[in-house]
Amino acid sequence: MEKPNQPAGSLPPVAAEADSSEVAVPRNWRGITRPLTTLVIILIGWEVIGRYVLTNPLFFAPLSEVAEAAVQLWSTGELQKHIWVSFSELMQGTFAAIVFGIAAGVGIGISQRVRDYTEIYITALYATPLVAVTPLLILWLGIGVFSKAAVVFLTAVFPILINTAAGIRSTDPLLIEVARSFCGTRSQIITKVMLPAAVPFMLTGIRLGIGRGIVGVVVGELFGARAGLGYLIFTSGQTFEVPALFVGILALAAMGVGLTFAAQLVERYALRWRRSTEMDGS
Amino acid sequence: MTELKTGVRPATVSVEHLEMVFTARGRRQKALEDINLTIAPGEFFVIVGPSGCGKTTLLRILQGLAHPTGGRALIGDREVTGPGIDRGFVFQQDALYPWRNVTRNVAFGLELQGITKADAAKRTQEMIELVGLTGFETYYPHELSGGMRQRVNLARALAIAPAILLMDEPFAALDALTRESMQRELLRIAAAAGTTIVFITHQIDEAILLGDRVAVFSPRPGRVREIISIDLPRPRPESVKQSPEFQAYVGHISALIG
Repeated sequence: MEKPNQPAGSLPPVAAEADSSEVAVPRNWRGITRPLTTLVIILIGWEVIGRYVLTNPLFFAPLSEVAEAAVQLWSTGELQKHIWVSFSELMQGTFAAIVFGIAAGVGIGISQRVRDYTEIYITALYATPLVAVTPLLILWLGIGVFSKAAVVFLTAVFPILINTAAGIRSTDPLLIEVARSFCGTRSQIITKVMLPAAVPFMLTGIRLGIGRGIVGVVVGELFGARAGLGYLIFTSGQTFEVPALFVGILALAAMGVGLTFAAQLVERYALRWRRSTEMDGS
Repeated sequence: MTELKTGVRPATVSVEHLEMVFTARGRRQKALEDINLTIAPGEFFVIVGPSGCGKTTLLRILQGLAHPTGGRALIGDREVTGPGIDRGFVFQQDALYPWRNVTRNVAFGLELQGITKADAAKRTQEMIELVGLTGFETYYPHELSGGMRQRVNLARALAIAPAILLMDEPFAALDALTRESMQRELLRIAAAAGTTIVFITHQIDEAILLGDRVAVFSPRPGRVREIISIDLPRPRPESVKQSPEFQAYVGHISALIG
């Protein structure tokens, strides 16, 4: 009730929650107001540090100058272009990684023989920082979108594959036996029991894969690109345009937050059958 | 009461010189020894015995999930070689698919037979009504109590219209009050469905309350000590447990298991 009276720019009324909170600030609002408070503090701190502490423009820039650079880059259409390039590299690579990772993960999960042939090498590849092969991919595929999509694919595919295989293998044997006792065929057991049982694992793998994929995009663009947020960051650094450099970093952060949020929505929908498990206590 | 057409006539279950030997850590262990049983069509047959007497193994052999090392099991005059839709298996708790709601769990067996959703819907709904879960169709297993989950389990087994219902200690994990109400429900449902039932338990009073006949198994290796006909009139209310006849059966079986 006192919220509208607050002057613009002041902190949200955290202290007011004691008595009137149930009516005035519903519980779920706090999930928004509290992180927003942190954000406001950080942004103010940034501006203050940029203006009065790290004043050398070669090393740092206050928030207001970063915002100015963002508006400038946006008005020329350059920022949108970089975001779009990085985003499409990430999406193409991730999509391919999901398709291949799930298919291969199922194959490895259901077949001991396939596992015998491949498991140790997959573990080795998962442990190798595959962004290291980026220069090679750029040599093969050029400095366009495909080389970066390939980097994303390579970095994102292993968490998806390994998690899918683990999910398939950890299917409750009793649930498989139920399907057998109802005369389920092998393919029915795979599609109707193992795959659904592995879905939570797949989603975890995809979330991990996207996180690694974003790193892959940036590293790929640092090595060789014509556009993209990593390219923007790299060229801005080379020309000491610190505000533009921060614009690139902030855009990457926003992309990461947005994708994580989208992944959470998908997870919540796909796993609605086990929501409230902990609340119900049965 | 719901009228139920199973579509399959109840069948005889017979077991001849059945033997099951497991090998674990290089040691041969006999789980079942020379089991001979003939279960009549439509009979409610209970197997009671201490844990480790191989009664679950016998049920798995009847279902075709395990293969005996000697002798054979027959449904009608056909030897059991694998699972078949003439038999419905009621598992212990938590054998439901957590990602399927009540309707889709009950329809699972029909779905595996390639029956279309539309055709399965009517049968599924009938079964949900039969086990008293109307109104809970869209609930997921974690939202149900233990007793309700066992009703879903039962409905899923009955949905494929089995001639024989195999039940593996289905009420063992339930609290006493829920178990009593489930026993009453099962007697009602069994009467409506008219299937042959092979029911396993380690509880003597449950065996006597439910069974037409009770086979008492000895501890490992499992052997049939005695098969007892329970001559108590049906329906059997809860109060029958206080009758001297019931108590006499309890005493007799307790002495056999000893």
